[in-house]
Amino acid sequence: MSGADPARAALDAAVIAWTQEDPWRRDDARFDELALALFAFQFARCAPYRRFCEARARTPADVRRWQDVPAVPTGAFKELALTSFPRERAVHVFRTSGTALAGEQRGALLLDTLAVYEASLHASFRRGVLPDLAPGAGVSLHVLAPSAAEAPDSSLSHMFDVVMRDLGAPYNSHWIAGGALDVPRALRELAAAEMSSEAVAVCGTAFAFVHLLDELERQQLRFALPDSARVMETGGFKGRSRSVPRDQLHAWIADRLGVPPARIVNQYGMTELGSQFYDSVLGEPGAPRRKLAPPWTRVRILDPIGGAEVAPGELGRIAVLDLANTGSVSALETADLGRAIGDGFEVIGRDAGAEERGCSIGADAMLADARP
Amino acid sequence: MTPDELRERIAALRAAGEELRKRPARQVIDALADVLDRWCDRGAPERRALERDLPAATGFTPENVREGLARAFAPWSGEALRALAERELARGSAFALGHDVTSVLLAGAIPMPALLSMIAPLAVRSPALVKTAARDPITAPLVLRSIAEVDPQLARCVEVVGFAGADDACMEVFLSADCVLATGSDSTIAAVAARLGPDQTLVRHGHRVSLGLLGHEACGGAALDESARGFALDTALWDQLGCLSPIAVYAATDATGCERVATALACALDAVGRELPRGEVEAGAAALFAAERAGAELRAAAGQRVAVHAARDASWAVVCESDCTPRPAPLHRFVRVHPYPAPEGLGSALAPLAGHLAGVALAGFGTAQAGVEADVRAVGASWVCRPGELQSPPLGWPRDGLAPLGSLVRIGAPSH
Repeated sequence: MSGADPARAALDAAVIAWTQEDPWRRDDARFDELALALFAFQFARCAPYRRFCEARARTPADVRRWQDVPAVPTGAFKELALTSFPRERAVHVFRTSGTALAGEQRGALLLDTLAVYEASLHASFRRGVLPDLAPGAGVSLHVLAPSAAEAPDSSLSHMFDVVMRDLGAPYNSHWIAGGALDVPRALRELAAAEMSSEAVAVCGTAFAFVHLLDELERQQLRFALPDSARVMETGGFKGRSRSVPRDQLHAWIADRLGVPPARIVNQYGMTELGSQFYDSVLGEPGAPRRKLAPPWTRVRILDPIGGAEVAPGELGRIAVLDLANTGSVSALETADLGRAIGDGFEVIGRDAGAEERGCSIGADAMLADARP
Repeated sequence: MTPDELRERIAALRAAGEELRKRPARQVIDALADVLDRWCDRGAPERRALERDLPAATGFTPENVREGLARAFAPWSGEALRALAERELARGSAFALGHDVTSVLLAGAIPMPALLSMIAPLAVRSPALVKTAARDPITAPLVLRSIAEVDPQLARCVEVVGFAGADDACMEVFLSADCVLATGSDSTIAAVAARLGPDQTLVRHGHRVSLGLLGHEACGGAALDESARGFALDTALWDQLGCLSPIAVYAATDATGCERVATALACALDAVGRELPRGEVEAGAAALFAAERAGAELRAAAGQRVAVHAARDASWAVVCESDCTPRPAPLHRFVRVHPYPAPEGLGSALAPLAGHLAGVALAGFGTAQAGVEADVRAVGASWVCRPGELQSPPLGWPRDGLAPLGSLVRIGAPSH
């Protein structure tokens, strides 16, 4: 747990307890209470965040509801160590993947405990990727990402290793090794999965899936994974040499792996967040696809200019309050665009596919070459 | 638009081009000069139509479009075009010729590059197949209309087409021209380049940035106020989306002086915003703007010497940075002010931007002005001017280091 700070330990325990409840239950009063307590704790322990809040005239004495907790931009993690514990107590650092852009500064999340992080990811993964499996039922997890041993600062690799360790059947595998797709292994495991009576989940980054699908196409191979199989993909294509729209990726996966789009789950997550958000398709087949927020998180879609919450269906930037971020800052604003759909939300991405209006270089493009 | 229709248009252009090349070069240049003079006249129907229709199509405010066009056209004229043609195309008594057909790929919503990109191939008597920019369906048809008014035969040498950039079949036909004049992001240009054959010519205009540069003499007093007003105008025009829009001001001063510069610039941006209100900002751009502003505020809270000035309605922001490190440019009137240790620090301050620069507006260097100008040209700036003049380059501005007309000449082509 989180060292010697009793206030923090109590917060951690409360959040972990919530993650272990089944079924999930939205409890606004409980969320507000915990969010305000966590805000007071982080305001007291994280000096940059405190000054940031004070400059906005938002202190624990003034803030009465979670919506008013000042949110920091996720980009700030690239430059500042936003921790609510002494830095020397950090036991783990997760870094953002950044992009393929040369020299881009990578964000870092320092953790003094992995307990809350793992409790949250566990519950969300079960609910988002394995909701149709009986408790204790095994699932073969095949991961298109390097292992945590190979990528120790990747939160995604850590997440996959944890779910493989705790939820996977004896037959799990990594299909990325030494920084490259292990094609023989992937083909071997896919062939075995076709014959398997056990549930199978193929999980990985969207870009790694593109590599796998390219290879299957090159070798003119198609697999028909069993009806119980599912795919989980995550991440975008920013800075990559190639970009495949999500619906095309899902159609491609369906074509080559035999897993229909209705059993393909996209995960929205980021290093700076302790929790992840999964598509609803496996838990609520037939209902509109949307990301569902675990009850210990709240997602708001904000007017990009004014900052007020926009009406359902309108485009805005995604802001998250994640109680699992006990060791850093719980309220974050992303640069991602999204829209609310019913009780969930949809992630649109950063540029919504718009062609540029001018001939100046935008934010990231200039830094691709400009960073010393 | 189908690939077959495009092929038909190209065939028609090739036929029209044969007639065009038989015409005396000066006659064609004179016709184009008349076209340009019409555009420089605020009362001309096409200019009025552009001022009327561009705001709704592009999201710029009418005030911004009006002022942006006025500033951009101020140094342009038919006479300037004649002089440019003499300078870049004259080979003794003959004029250089362009390619049989030039495909012109337009991008963005700022009209001047579109106008010049359409006129330039004709000046070298190369018919032009013009693909409109998705963000500006207005300018290209109006330019064609003005050409038709002046010289119907010349207008037959221009085809304006529209199709989705993702339409591979149409794009393949479009890019089959002998010469391609492409404007767009670096990735767009690279994708175009990858599709051209070794015998085709590509004239590329990628995306660029511009800067302000203040010498010590302009970091205070009336000189600072004047420069700040100029930078604010340069920033506000076209909502900082153009390659001649300054994304940052580098000031030869210390942290205190830098804050003084940032304050002056903030005041000036606030003032210019009342005359030239900012236009629409798309959600993604607004999110980036907000994130960069909040990130700067957080860095300030963390103890870095960073100060943020911003409009209450988020219509502009000025961030006073503590060093020269380049940072993301959210555009839409978001300017950073960086201190640099003059004069020896200038080169290293600008080095990271080498290859990305378009224009630099500078002031306050006194007798060192010429040397500084040479320095910024050495790192790639193709337009060096005073604050307030960035958006008014001359017609012959060698954008990206390329001669506006001369770059379209076919090497080895006969001149006449």
